[in-house]
Amino acid sequence: MYGPRQQKLSPQTCEFLLLCFEGPDEYSLAGGLGVRVTELARTLADLGYDVKLTFIGDPQKPYHEGEERLNLYRWAQWVSRYYPAGVYDGEEAKLAEFSSSVPAHIVKLCRETLTRGKVPIVLAEDWHTAGALCAISDMLHLEGIRSKCLLFWNANTTAGFHRIDFARLNFCATLLTVSRFMKHEMWKYGVNPIVVPNGIPSRLVTAEPPHKEAAELRGALGEGLTLFKIGRFSPDKRWMMAVEALGELVRRGVPARLLMRGGMEPHGGEVLQRAAHMGLSIVDVPLERGRRDLKNLLAFVRVHAGAHIYNLKYFVPEEVTRVLYLGADAVLANSGFEPFGLVGLEVMAAGGVAVTGATGEDYARNLENALVVETEDPWELTLLLQGLFGDEELSRHLRAEGRKTARTFVWERVIGDLIHRLTYVGQKQGALSHRAARPHSVGTAPKGAKEKAARQRSFRKVGV
Amino acid sequence: MARYVSVYCVIHQPRRLKLPAQIIPRHATAEDIARCLFDEPMNRRYLEKVAETCYRPATKMFRKLLDRGFKLSLGISLSFVEQAERWAPDVMDDLKELLAHENAELIAVEPYHSFLFYFDIGAFTRQMRWVAGELKRRMGSATKPVVADTTEMFMSNDIYHALQRAGYRGALLDGRPWVMEWRSPAHVYHYGTRPYLLVRHTDLSDDVGYRFSNRGWSGWPLTADRYAEWLARSEGDCITIGWDYETFGEHHRTESGIFPFMENLVDEATKRGISFLTASQVIEEFHEQSYHLPLPEHACTWAGSGDVGFFLGNDVQQAVFRLMHHAYNKASLTKEKDLIDLAVWLMQSDNLHLIQWHGRAGAEAEVSAYFTPREWWQLGAGAIVAEIQNVYKNFIKALDHHVPGFEEVDLYRQFAYGEIAAQ
Repeated sequence: MYGPRQQKLSPQTCEFLLLCFEGPDEYSLAGGLGVRVTELARTLADLGYDVKLTFIGDPQKPYHEGEERLNLYRWAQWVSRYYPAGVYDGEEAKLAEFSSSVPAHIVKLCRETLTRGKVPIVLAEDWHTAGALCAISDMLHLEGIRSKCLLFWNANTTAGFHRIDFARLNFCATLLTVSRFMKHEMWKYGVNPIVVPNGIPSRLVTAEPPHKEAAELRGALGEGLTLFKIGRFSPDKRWMMAVEALGELVRRGVPARLLMRGGMEPHGGEVLQRAAHMGLSIVDVPLERGRRDLKNLLAFVRVHAGAHIYNLKYFVPEEVTRVLYLGADAVLANSGFEPFGLVGLEVMAAGGVAVTGATGEDYARNLENALVVETEDPWELTLLLQGLFGDEELSRHLRAEGRKTARTFVWERVIGDLIHRLTYVGQKQGALSHRAARPHSVGTAPKGAKEKAARQRSFRKVGV
Repeated sequence: MARYVSVYCVIHQPRRLKLPAQIIPRHATAEDIARCLFDEPMNRRYLEKVAETCYRPATKMFRKLLDRGFKLSLGISLSFVEQAERWAPDVMDDLKELLAHENAELIAVEPYHSFLFYFDIGAFTRQMRWVAGELKRRMGSATKPVVADTTEMFMSNDIYHALQRAGYRGALLDGRPWVMEWRSPAHVYHYGTRPYLLVRHTDLSDDVGYRFSNRGWSGWPLTADRYAEWLARSEGDCITIGWDYETFGEHHRTESGIFPFMENLVDEATKRGISFLTASQVIEEFHEQSYHLPLPEHACTWAGSGDVGFFLGNDVQQAVFRLMHHAYNKASLTKEKDLIDLAVWLMQSDNLHLIQWHGRAGAEAEVSAYFTPREWWQLGAGAIVAEIQNVYKNFIKALDHHVPGFEEVDLYRQFAYGEIAAQ
């Protein structure tokens, strides 16, 4: 024996109370956050943990739905009834209700968890939950049970940071984030979050890549370099860089084409105008008779062979994106600002070649498991793609290594890392050990980091 | 020397606003609008807290005192009743039992503790007439109250007439020197034939109500025998004392000695030949020798320095006051009873009282800040006053779709189809 035995977090010793604006309902899925929290909750439940997820749910569905281990609480439904368009419709009204009424609900759940002899772990996601989490901490203090509960707040993005009182939040909870890049971004606010990466569902790596369908796609498109890009039409996603690199490849005589799926954002107009200005031919791929399947896409591509850009005008389901990830010679996930970059990892999981940016994509190593662009210069991207074109060995290597990397980021593995981090915080706080709690802060940025970051802030996006 | 003392207490809890202000969805029902306006979880927390520190122990104490010859006139706001019925029914039961005692009397109080008398004196008159029956029903009393108190004991010429129209026999008035001039507060007064006016003795009331636990006060520590002596030495027919019920255990904590003080006061007063009367007994006893009192056109109140300055003394209070007016006007246009009712709730004097501290310092500002919910201070002083105004603004906007005949201009459609350009 080397000292008192430390309690560990396990399904027998703790329960998860997740807080998020987005969630598993179609109404609540707006982007990556909803997918993240849904997959995280499900995987935790599959691993045997009791999970209670509170989110802005579909107002037409029951307030509470409980599976064996996963319980869903749809919050602010009375407000949502007035805002049928989705989770962010009536955002401010929902936020006010969420911030004022969720704390009492979570405190009640914490009390129940403690009654069962377990440690409540409250994990709140992104800026909408920050105010509520501080209030939860205050109420737990008032009830005298704060030291028995673990409170975490995770940043998946920098959006909404201007509305967070970081000093207070950092005092009330332990901060987490999804990449080292985000950690450094948050130093600017005087906090030092613990990094726990995002995850992908294990089904993406256990399923056999869709080789047959990918071959059909390549057959339909014919010879040449096929690129695919998917994401919002945001300047952060570097769409301009993508079309300019395509234009440059074409100018250099490479028979290249781009299949793209953007959003409804106005930047899309600028992107397509730039492509047209460069002499690239663009065809819109419409949704015909509601069919989003691959067959429909292949038929369209065969009819319109020879275009430079195929602009998909509809939501592309997961089974088709996986074919596009695998079938394309490269998938351009070349964002200039990415807290984590889930798309790159999904491409790797599907056996594709990911071209990532160099911000939050901690998983990507240039020429090892992906192609990584360090700047927003189209020439850099052109050079990488030109190098890839015709280099079968490099392509095979990147695809194989990418799959290996993706396997290390499935939620089951990420949760292992998460539990390890939470255990550390729990033991330091004294919630898990028999030792008395010691005053401790795990959330202060290194000395001078804030000032240094302030000096460097203006250089963040500057390319070479 | 005064031989009689009449003690009046008022119980009130505000319906606190929800800050930061919540945006109200378009087409929201009155019920959902209310959920956006008021912070009911916070109201519950405060009610439960005050029930523990004050309502339960104080009611127990008064129950014992009534058996010993003490008499109590008790005003209860409906704002309190609504909350207590939901969250502390045992407190309601205790109060009903207290009021059933022969030495207790129910006083009618302006139901929402609102400033309705400033905006619509006719509606105020109707409210005061209605509340007598409503309080009788809710408190299980045998008879309707015949004496009335208004919000923060506001009284003016027009309010007096409204109370007369509402059918009251008596009303309360704070005995501020600028109203009483050379007159003693220890008599019954009248302006018309009725209601008779019971004048609260400001100094003797505030000695207990405000100063009891003030260690900087020359009268501290105040003992029951000394206070009884002050009462006995006062000139006049009857001394009317008026306190917040929350004086006992909340404004002055148990540790201050406020409970033993009251328990000893009955004996000490009796020793000095003082008897206790309820408000209507005072009127019964002294109405024939009541005096004429010219009532002021500017209202007086028991709050602050006795005039409306405590509620309208700074620019933010004036802005909120104007918004109260706009909210009521807009609600009136909808002709929906529930929305008008919400607008009256929004007129609670507390919403002005709680921001008296804005730009001020001193004792009154400290009192005001004391009543401001602790949770609001996290927003910062500037945000509190801004968000209070936003509550009203949101409410006024939310009523757009309730005004008959209102059609919203579809700006998107106008731009998309060039209708604006064509104009």
